[in-house]
Amino acid sequence: MTWLKLVEGYMPMQMISELALSVLIFCLVNWTLKRAGMGISSFWAAIGIWAFIVTYLTYRIYPPIPFSVRAIYGTVSACGLFMWVSGSQGAWEEFKRPIFNVMDGISGFHKAIRVVALILIPLGLGGFAFKSFLPSFEEPIELRTVHPAPPATTKVHGKTFVLQTSANPFRVNKEGKYDQAFSNERIVEQSMGRLMKDVNDPNFNPWDPNAEGYTKYVREGGEIFYQNCHFCHGDNLNGRGLWAYAFNPIPANFTDAGTIAQLQETFVFWRVSKGGIGLPGEGFPWASVMPPWEQHLTVDEIWKVVMFEYWHTGYYPRTWD
Amino acid sequence: MNRNMRFTASTSSRFALTVGISLLLGVGLPISSWGQDGPPEGFVKQTAPPVPSAEQIESGKRVYFTKCVWCHGVEGAGDGPGAARLWPRPRNFVSGTFKIRHTASGQLPLVNVDLLQTVTHGLPGSAMPSWEGILTEDQRKDVLAFISTQLVKDRDWQDTEFEDFFVLELDKLQPTPNTPESIKHGAELVQEKKCVECHGQEGRGDGNAFNLKDDWGFSIQPADWHKCWNFRGSRQDPYNVKNIFRTFSTGINGTPMPSFADTTSIADRWDIANYVNSLCERQGEVAAINGVVTDEIATTFTTAQPLAIDPQTDKPKGTFVIPSKFVEGELPTDENGEAWKTAPRIWLALGGQITHKPRNFVNRIDDAWVQSVYNNDHILFMFKWDDRTKSIQEGEVDWDKTEVNLGDYGIEEQQPNGSSFADEQFHPESLAAKQKDGYAVFNDGIAFQFPIKWQELPAPRKPRYFWGDERFAADITKWTADGTLAVYEGTGWDQDFNEIDFQEEVSVVKAEWVNGRWTVIIKRPIKGDYEEVAYLEAGKYIPMVFFAWDGHNGDVGRKMAVSAFYYLVMEPTIPNTTYIYPILMGVGIIVLEGWVLGRRANRRKEKGRA
Repeated sequence: MTWLKLVEGYMPMQMISELALSVLIFCLVNWTLKRAGMGISSFWAAIGIWAFIVTYLTYRIYPPIPFSVRAIYGTVSACGLFMWVSGSQGAWEEFKRPIFNVMDGISGFHKAIRVVALILIPLGLGGFAFKSFLPSFEEPIELRTVHPAPPATTKVHGKTFVLQTSANPFRVNKEGKYDQAFSNERIVEQSMGRLMKDVNDPNFNPWDPNAEGYTKYVREGGEIFYQNCHFCHGDNLNGRGLWAYAFNPIPANFTDAGTIAQLQETFVFWRVSKGGIGLPGEGFPWASVMPPWEQHLTVDEIWKVVMFEYWHTGYYPRTWD
Repeated sequence: MNRNMRFTASTSSRFALTVGISLLLGVGLPISSWGQDGPPEGFVKQTAPPVPSAEQIESGKRVYFTKCVWCHGVEGAGDGPGAARLWPRPRNFVSGTFKIRHTASGQLPLVNVDLLQTVTHGLPGSAMPSWEGILTEDQRKDVLAFISTQLVKDRDWQDTEFEDFFVLELDKLQPTPNTPESIKHGAELVQEKKCVECHGQEGRGDGNAFNLKDDWGFSIQPADWHKCWNFRGSRQDPYNVKNIFRTFSTGINGTPMPSFADTTSIADRWDIANYVNSLCERQGEVAAINGVVTDEIATTFTTAQPLAIDPQTDKPKGTFVIPSKFVEGELPTDENGEAWKTAPRIWLALGGQITHKPRNFVNRIDDAWVQSVYNNDHILFMFKWDDRTKSIQEGEVDWDKTEVNLGDYGIEEQQPNGSSFADEQFHPESLAAKQKDGYAVFNDGIAFQFPIKWQELPAPRKPRYFWGDERFAADITKWTADGTLAVYEGTGWDQDFNEIDFQEEVSVVKAEWVNGRWTVIIKRPIKGDYEEVAYLEAGKYIPMVFFAWDGHNGDVGRKMAVSAFYYLVMEPTIPNTTYIYPILMGVGIIVLEGWVLGRRANRRKEKGRA
């Protein structure tokens, strides 16, 4: 059922239109049936629609929405349905009729339902109350900021870097000048697989013996990455490394458009140098196992590995202008 | 078009092969045994795979130099920049020796079956990831075309004179159902076939554990049957018995694991596979002590439910809450106490400590199980974890047990200078050299930390996972295999521990290493000096972090395995109000129902009268 797939980003609109469409179809069908003299009473229609909405929210939406949110939606739709069934005196009388019929026990069948309901209601509500009184210990939810505000400057190996003005010293063209356009041309292709553009051209293949400048530094950055970083961030830089299962917060996925693609290179330099312990409080520095890489790498090595991450994922660092 | 070209190129060799096969079929079939060179039972002879096209090889080269070269190296010798810090090591392609295959022992793998499955599913338990969803199937096949033709140098898939392909017909063979009889027979066969000599009496990979080497001289260890999600050949389907049957039938080339196809009937192979598969951890623990399987145990094996495996990590799905259950009266005095049955066992995920020097790139303890019970005064933690070697430090060390900065004493991390290792397998810095016998043996150990005065932490702040920090200290309970159990105050990853005057209060209820598994039960008072130690309270979330050391791996000090934050919850006994209120509520509703119905009836009566 691929045509029914919920698409990330469009999910809320999709959900509302699907629900609206289903209710609309139901109303149309019921209206037609009513004209033919076999419509469903508004009592059962209201209960049916409400049950449909709750079922839809519980089983259709993935990843599942929490119970508290479903409860809000369920209440809102119950209010809406109540407004519908109590719209006019006649409608309200019609809606109430099946309830009163049971209460009055107008027939043997209705009496039987009355007995069952009288027993089930206190049992059900009592059971529900018991369940909510039982102590439950779910994992607590703690929200952390993934990209906290960076500082103005950062001091690494005794040198102060101003985040707004610093530039990666290895992102250089053949003349040795900082040149982002030059390096952006040489990153991997942003298509399936994210592969280098040409394996036989030293401009694009960092492993070509004749690679120089930017492309050669990419290889040096990659060497550092595969000696230090892949254990968590993964061989494909997707945050699924060897030890990723053991850590929480989980390692960043650089191939996701929401991580390094959204950041300036100097921000990444700051994050790599200072690691988890250097995060501000909202980033939960106590829980992150990200090393402060200044303890393990030189300034040059950090710049190179940052550059490699952009090369390998095929993203451009964000710029200030 | 390419395909046609391939066919023309190899017509002559194909002809020869066809003739060969007809001859073999004609001569071999009537005879019950295939003789020395025929395929073993369950295998069938196949022709060589087609020659890949030049375009495919070229496009595979592009994939290789973007994704694979970093670990497998420019020449494919398994010596890329990442190789030196990996265990198991990246595959060296040069000799064409591949571990996970459908082909008979010693033979080349099927490129578009075996190697494709390896690239698609990765090799769980190693750094080789699953490339499914990252590379398209064509890209995966292309890179294999490049590797099999350009990097495998010593052998050739097209060399019909030397290469045979006897392929295990795994899809056609029906597994024997895992009946208690099959499992029991399998348990006897693993003794008879001497599987246990390497894999250990209970299959934890603890037999012969530190003396095995692969064809390249690198240290390797027998598989731990209790962690099937780490089986390299699990194909991301670890509880599938076919994987075990396949490995057992084909052997693992390049390692001491032989093929049993020639010596073991298919029926026996399924029995062994069923037994090995049943040892993989299930939701409840099923212990077959010393590998002895009684009827009762065998029956339990057949019904035990597998653990849920997370497809993203190929590890069991975990939870970060450790419920400790209340026990009326005395706490259990060993691992068999009845009280343990009330407490669920929680899987602890442990990764190598790779934050601060000396980092632990080769982490041998990747998980542990913990259970906890408490009474009014004490809490017990029972840890069980697989460790192939019982390590107790021999002789004295130069440092004090409270010291954590051991760099001055020569405790260092693995150097990254990798590429020279391929030429020199026993380069003094290589893991192979160190694992052979070069490591000093330190103590195995396990530890856990709580925040001191956790009640006052401004949520969600906690003391740093790594032994606390300047502002918030951690209370660290550490047991080591030499019998030491102590409680320390930690104030930072590089700050020496402070001994806390709590030693008399904590005790080791049990610490035993049997057949590749440690069972350690630690007892701690719930309460202590509020200012000095963690003062535990029921019904609260108490942050907890775990640490583990494998002495034979050179683990000591900061070189260890570490977990993320977990929460200990000492579940309070259910108060009486939990039972009383719902009953009161039910009674109230019944009264209300009577009132409503009574009113309704009255009203109808009135109406009727009117």
